[in-house]
Amino acid sequence: MTRFTVNDRPVQFLMDPETPLLWALRDAANLTGTKYGCGNGDCGACMVIIDGEAIRSCLVSIAEVEGRFVTTIEALSGDRSHPLQQAMVAEGAIQCGFCTPGFVMAGAALLARNPRAGREEIAQAVRNLCPCGAGPRIIRAIERAGRAMRRRENLESLPAPGIDPAEAAQVVPAISAASPEPTESEP
Amino acid sequence: MTPPPPEPDSADKRKPRDRAGPHVTRRNLMIAGAAGGGIIAIWALMPRDYPVPLSAGEAEHAFNAWIKVGRDGVVTVAVPELEMGQGSTTLFPRIAAQELGADWRQVAVEPAAISAAYADPVLAARWSGLWSASWLGSANRLGLADDPDDYLVERHAETERLMATAEGTGIAAYEMKLREAAAAVRTVLAMAAAERWDVNFEECTAEAGFITHQDKSLRFGELVDEAARLTPPDPVPLRPDPASATMPELTGNAALGEAGYFVRLDAPSKVDGSYPFAADIRIPDLVYAATAHGPLADSELDSFDADANDGAARRVIGYLGRVEGPGWLACVATSQWAAEKALGLMKPRFRPGRALPDDARIQSALDQAMAEGAPEVIHQRADPLPALQGMGVTEASYSFAPQIHGTIETASATARIMDGRLSLWMATQAPGAARRAAAEALGIPESDVVVLPVGAGGSFDARLEVAIAREVAAIAFAIGRPVQLTYSRWQEHLRALPLPPARIDCRALVGQRGTIRAWHSRIARPAAARQMHARLDEGLRPEAAMEAASGLVDPPALMGHAPPYAIPELLVDCVPADIGVPVGRLRGNGEIHPCFAAECFVDEVARANGEEPLSFRVAMLGDNPRLFACLQGAAQIAGWDGGSDGSSQGLACWQMADPAGRPEGGGYIAVIANARLGSSEAGGGVEVSSLSAHVDIGRIIDYDLALQQIEGGLLYGMALALGMAVGFDGGLVRERTLGALNLPQLSRMPEISVAFADSLAPPFDPGEIGVVAAPPAIANALRAATGSRYRTMPIRVSASQLAPANPPQQADAAADAALEPAAEDAAPDSAAPAYDEPVELPDGSMAR
Repeated sequence: MTRFTVNDRPVQFLMDPETPLLWALRDAANLTGTKYGCGNGDCGACMVIIDGEAIRSCLVSIAEVEGRFVTTIEALSGDRSHPLQQAMVAEGAIQCGFCTPGFVMAGAALLARNPRAGREEIAQAVRNLCPCGAGPRIIRAIERAGRAMRRRENLESLPAPGIDPAEAAQVVPAISAASPEPTESEP
Repeated sequence: MTPPPPEPDSADKRKPRDRAGPHVTRRNLMIAGAAGGGIIAIWALMPRDYPVPLSAGEAEHAFNAWIKVGRDGVVTVAVPELEMGQGSTTLFPRIAAQELGADWRQVAVEPAAISAAYADPVLAARWSGLWSASWLGSANRLGLADDPDDYLVERHAETERLMATAEGTGIAAYEMKLREAAAAVRTVLAMAAAERWDVNFEECTAEAGFITHQDKSLRFGELVDEAARLTPPDPVPLRPDPASATMPELTGNAALGEAGYFVRLDAPSKVDGSYPFAADIRIPDLVYAATAHGPLADSELDSFDADANDGAARRVIGYLGRVEGPGWLACVATSQWAAEKALGLMKPRFRPGRALPDDARIQSALDQAMAEGAPEVIHQRADPLPALQGMGVTEASYSFAPQIHGTIETASATARIMDGRLSLWMATQAPGAARRAAAEALGIPESDVVVLPVGAGGSFDARLEVAIAREVAAIAFAIGRPVQLTYSRWQEHLRALPLPPARIDCRALVGQRGTIRAWHSRIARPAAARQMHARLDEGLRPEAAMEAASGLVDPPALMGHAPPYAIPELLVDCVPADIGVPVGRLRGNGEIHPCFAAECFVDEVARANGEEPLSFRVAMLGDNPRLFACLQGAAQIAGWDGGSDGSSQGLACWQMADPAGRPEGGGYIAVIANARLGSSEAGGGVEVSSLSAHVDIGRIIDYDLALQQIEGGLLYGMALALGMAVGFDGGLVRERTLGALNLPQLSRMPEISVAFADSLAPPFDPGEIGVVAAPPAIANALRAATGSRYRTMPIRVSASQLAPANPPQQADAAADAALEPAAEDAAPDSAAPAYDEPVELPDGSMAR
């Protein structure tokens, strides 16, 4: 059977039960934040959280996930407000961004267990790959997110997805909500 | 099942020479014109004003090719370079926003369309040596120079719409164009405001998205309709050049508060997974394709088990069909996994059309080229060869394995054909070549193909290749539905065109002043840049491109720089090697191997002569204050300990030429690595504990982007020094998984310290210089730590060399001695000169 919960919604995938969770998420549920990089667990770009544990979604079939709770990057916070998302941006730990969702999911699962995780523990727990070379910054971002979760530090919030000019105009003076018709000069 | 397309790629099967024959292109016409002396007139008559390639929405105006402004105040900047992590979608908008006086939060980006308006004359000049060999034999007669300001070079870039993200030319090519475009928009906005207020526009200022005059101010958005009717003065007034952002606090303008901070525009959407890569495109009716290829040896599809095992492939849930192409088989299904599964069950078999790639053949081709090849001079000062025939010469040979890119994203493209027009979503560094390849595959005009660029997950120059465009177009045509093709990890490695393997032999002689007096290095390798050109510009398959470049040497500018020292007698030459494997490009490119060989060899010569590596280099710098400052700076950051035996520090420096050829430009770096052999308990290998660099890249446009590129470059260089190699078994790449490339995990991250020179020299792209300088620093550090010299890249450490889990006490000299390397690839330093008295050389001079 292939019924389980994805991002708090109960779903059933009408696919071959052997289909790796990765491809069910990407191609059937259109949750494309979970990335394919290697197919054998080397890269960690497909990391999701299943019942609190970071799991490579290319290595589990949808049959094996039956009855469990799957969280993908799209629902980690929904509005980029998870401290690790904020810390990744604040530390400049994102270059091409392809590995980013996997790192965020692996780091978030670690911090949920232990917000005091230090460099060693992070390196042991988060075995993802980033060839762009953001690794040292990613370690710093996870440590910083941990401090924020322990209220040792505040992180700046990120713009939420899907802001329209009307909302932006409330914060940014250079943007106006209205899109006035062309007019000749106004007094 | 729809039948396969009518031999869409049949042109490929012909010999390359045939293809160029009757095929009439604008290029052929131009060459024909040149013979009659009419070329200048033809070019001069071609239009120089192009329609604005930006399409504006209902409530916005496209002021020029670069900038749109909406009535809501949103400023959209066109970005002509592929975003692949280097930050092009932040850097270029930032240049425009600063000149314009925009609030960073009102700035949006869109990828630039393929248009002459975005042609890159700097790249055209840099690659002009490639055209001259292949299609412009008469280049000199035409006066085609390697100067980007040259009229003909600029026109060539424009007529060919040469847009490619390569060689770090973007800043040199586009910074001033963007500033002029932004200044023009700022000026017409100010003119519109000045009209309303009845003041002089020169007295108005533009800041944070407002035009201001004394106590009056108006948003950009309120002025666009009037401004769009105005013409800016020519030339437009530019702001003073921005300061170099050498400090984090200068990254933004603190006085403007939030409006002044230039955070990466792509970061928020990348951190929640919503940033769309090519494989993330979702359109109605989309299906998924997997392809299988044969070895890179003109392989053709031989057979496959369509109906074996009782048609098992067809019974895969979600299976829709198969497509046979030239050299590949594709399965299409409702999920990527089902497509891969069906393809696997079909067991495709391929028939190679030429000798299969093979490790032994690569090695013997390099050795044979080195022994017998006719060298072509790359750099020369005086003649070192007589001096190098005498005694006291230090010699060493370095070898380089083929290495691949190690992107996490595999090649992917999405294609939709509607009303005879193809839409193609893909990450490509060469959008024009991708469009041509797809058009050729379908036999439709290029004007019926729209390339919709999406960001790349890495690339490192892997996305200069456009073969996937042909395949996805053909599959979409055959299957009659929008289709997304994603290479499996194995196919990504199978089809990757590696950084070419190479061998470099070095000889040097130290003169009376204790510095290198004569230097000769010879590199044997295939002409990777020429092969790339044959693929991109002539549309050849990799194997045909390899054949076209056979026996040729890449132009000097693309071969990497000479050692950055004032060596009085210097010769760097190259012999072409036909290794039987098509090769490509990889971040760092032609500089990787020369830098590794030269900087390791300088270290060897220093040690052989009892000199300290830093002062030995400094003594040879001549008039090179920028590199001197880098060496001093790196020594200071790292706490340079001299790199003597028992230290674990190694030093390397390098300089790269300005891509636009400006003598005051260029990039400079010195790197100090701390490295040692890991304990066998910890899995062995090399442990790099720190990388410290002092870098001079001229004026820095964006501090954090530059820092990210240098840090990332150093780490990419470390990955190349320690892995990412491929070998060939039976024509197939042995390394089928990402894990086999030995990319460093978080547990292997060194401490990284980077300092920048405060310079107002022309900005230099920071993307590659860290990549090339890190590997020799690591190899030199290992020499200091182990006493062994590592002369291969990647560095190979055998198990017997690894330190035991419990390292012996320092006092235990006997145990230390037992650890001296017995490794295959490690060798003692070259012997010190075996003489005490001065020796007369054949040319009559004396050596110490």
